[in-house]
Amino acid sequence: MGLLKDIKNLLIGMKITGKHLGRHAITIQYPEEKWTMPERSRGIVVLLSDKETGELNCTACMLCMKACPTGAIRIDAPRDEVTKKRTLKGFVVDNGLCCFCGLCEEACNFCAIKMTPKYEFSTIHKEELVWDMKRLQEVGRDVDYVDTRKKKVAPAAKPAVAVTPAPAPVTDPPAPAPAANPGEEKKEG
Amino acid sequence: MPEAKTVTINMGPQHPSTHGVLRVECELDGETVVKARPVIGYLHTGIEKTMESKLYYKAIPCTDRMDYLAPMSNNLGFVLAVEKLMEIEVPEKVKWARVCLTELTRVASHLVWLGTHALDIGAMSMLLYTFRERELIIDIYEACAGQRMMSTYFRIGGLSDDLPRDFDKKVRNIIKVIPERMKDYEALLTNNQIFINRTKGVAVISAEDAINWSLSGPMLRGSGVKHDLRKANPYSGYENFDFEIATGTNGDAYDRYLLRLKEIRQSLRIAQQALDGMPEGPYRAHVPGVVLPPKEDVLHKMESMIFHFKIITEGFKSPRGQVYQAIEAPKGELGFFISSDGTNRPNRVRVRPPSFCNLAALPALCEGRLFADVVVAIGSIDIVLGEVDR
Repeated sequence: MGLLKDIKNLLIGMKITGKHLGRHAITIQYPEEKWTMPERSRGIVVLLSDKETGELNCTACMLCMKACPTGAIRIDAPRDEVTKKRTLKGFVVDNGLCCFCGLCEEACNFCAIKMTPKYEFSTIHKEELVWDMKRLQEVGRDVDYVDTRKKKVAPAAKPAVAVTPAPAPVTDPPAPAPAANPGEEKKEG
Repeated sequence: MPEAKTVTINMGPQHPSTHGVLRVECELDGETVVKARPVIGYLHTGIEKTMESKLYYKAIPCTDRMDYLAPMSNNLGFVLAVEKLMEIEVPEKVKWARVCLTELTRVASHLVWLGTHALDIGAMSMLLYTFRERELIIDIYEACAGQRMMSTYFRIGGLSDDLPRDFDKKVRNIIKVIPERMKDYEALLTNNQIFINRTKGVAVISAEDAINWSLSGPMLRGSGVKHDLRKANPYSGYENFDFEIATGTNGDAYDRYLLRLKEIRQSLRIAQQALDGMPEGPYRAHVPGVVLPPKEDVLHKMESMIFHFKIITEGFKSPRGQVYQAIEAPKGELGFFISSDGTNRPNRVRVRPPSFCNLAALPALCEGRLFADVVVAIGSIDIVLGEVDR
């Protein structure tokens, strides 16, 4: 009796396996088919450019660099002796260090840095994972985003913008406060 | 007459059924285990120490990497501990959303356990089914936070972003689908004689021993001790939810299997209640200087922008003191002890990981039993080595 019952229970299990035999596979044939990523997806970090002028939105306020828990972001932005304004010279993201936590995006107030749903960036050599400003900008060109920056009307922005040459963003963002704290960056080690 | 000799062999660290890099030094007398000693440390990442050098909000990504099968629970434990330290009261909506998500995490964690435990014993197809269902939950993480495993969704004083638009619909779909699929799991395993022979009466621990070994979670409840931190010491609004504590009777691997299935059902019940009663409101507490203000305010209000800048660059100063906050993670009591010396970084963070404490009882579970039962014992403890070693 016991043996018959055991065989019956095993057959019930086999029936479930059998039910799945005729079923359509739920896997996706990856390189040909691709999953549509949700909008909040945290993939590669990119730098966003202004939709009209095509220049970087970044104002070199250094907040993303300070928010990064792994130190994957390095910004080179020397301060002008006279105007005390920073100009963005270099922006490097080491994708090998990045932990994709999204804290940099949360810190940014200028729609300058964003984690995108893009995920294909594997390389043969480790050094190629370090992306410079140019590459970050290029990858971010086609990324759609809502520009939440406060647009300053031309008269107010004019005198300040006229001094700085091309690399500075044309629309002067509303916050001079981040750039006005010289002692801050030493604390983060 | 020559003395009977025992043979010492290593199980692991590269063994598929040790669920990571655990080494068990087994002293065998024939097929019987005389002595078993778990050796850990192969996955040591120094997370506790790393957290000490980070600002409070930067330590949240570290917590995901401990129990990577239940990231939301780890986030919740740490975030609640810091909120206790800073005496922050979070909005009702945040509490309910957190409960909903951590209960889904419990389901996901138990599903992985079920699949891998069955795989250890020889039922291959279970793994494929449970991972298919887990995918539904992982999709919700991705929609909420943007990542499938290292979610980092909870923040000190709230959530990183509001719940996504289709959150309600997706979770209701899960609540409907998973109980249906669980009927399949039960048909495959519950009455399967092979599974019963392998698990019934194996890796037994009595209620008294379980308490003495300071076990928690399903390991403790499987022995019949009705202890659940969600009831015993409610946090994050658990006192508002109606659910039962599932318990076992014999304290063997089979009882723990049944118990975890019951827990999945109860978790879905809690998630349903959380959805039905989800209040409207902000997704972050309004605590200037500690909790990041919403983005809209930062862009339009000067003082919000200053607070945003200050929190990101130098964090917030915590009061001197020590807090301990424990939550009922899928694997047991997950506690965070934070000692603060009044600066913007924790002076010491100590984690009480359920896997580590439960793993300590491994010798008690398998000494005097067959060598093949070690696999079942390890499986039924439900360990994640990332959490054991930290």
